[in-house]
Amino acid sequence: MDNQTTLQQRMKRSSRTIFVWASAWLVSLALIAFGPKFLWDYAPTFSIISIVINLFMGYRMIIAHKQQLAAMDEMQRTIHMNAMAISLGTSLVFGAVYGLLYPIQLLSFSPNPANILFVMGLSYMFSVFIGFRKYL
Amino acid sequence: MKNRLKVLRAERNWTQADLARVLDVTRQTVNAIETGKFDPSLPLAFKAARTFGLTIEQIFDDESEG
Repeated sequence: MDNQTTLQQRMKRSSRTIFVWASAWLVSLALIAFGPKFLWDYAPTFSIISIVINLFMGYRMIIAHKQQLAAMDEMQRTIHMNAMAISLGTSLVFGAVYGLLYPIQLLSFSPNPANILFVMGLSYMFSVFIGFRKYL
Repeated sequence: MKNRLKVLRAERNWTQADLARVLDVTRQTVNAIETGKFDPSLPLAFKAARTFGLTIEQIFDDESEG
């Protein structure tokens, strides 16, 4: 009966790892956004260093997510893989049409790429929710 | 896919959580397999078979077979 503890431990450990690297990635992203203006007066060397740091943190965050996927049991993994597929497709379809709204004058402002990330996150969460409900 | 997991579990007075611990999956996964909503992988089916000392065919029934 020790295996469940193992599953729980795996999930707990991988969640903690994701939290650490996602936080580090967010902080490094904030450094890129605000560092040039408030810390190093747009010196390119420091900006490049901060970008390299951010890419490294992003890489570790991606690996942490991959490890969490591996730590899940097979039904959880299926649900999350389905959600990823739906999220990727939704973002692609939304992003393509969203990018055209400004050129065809249906939007009065230039589209913000962050909105695509928002749709990606939202569709992923919604798909995971639907996935779990499907199997319960 | 039909299966006898619920019966086998009941014979041993195990809860879904007990079986989940043995199979190293979540209780929700055991429930989904028992109700036929989720088909386990071959390794998980083998693990279940070993747990109950039976063959895969004695636990799982492929309804698509004639």
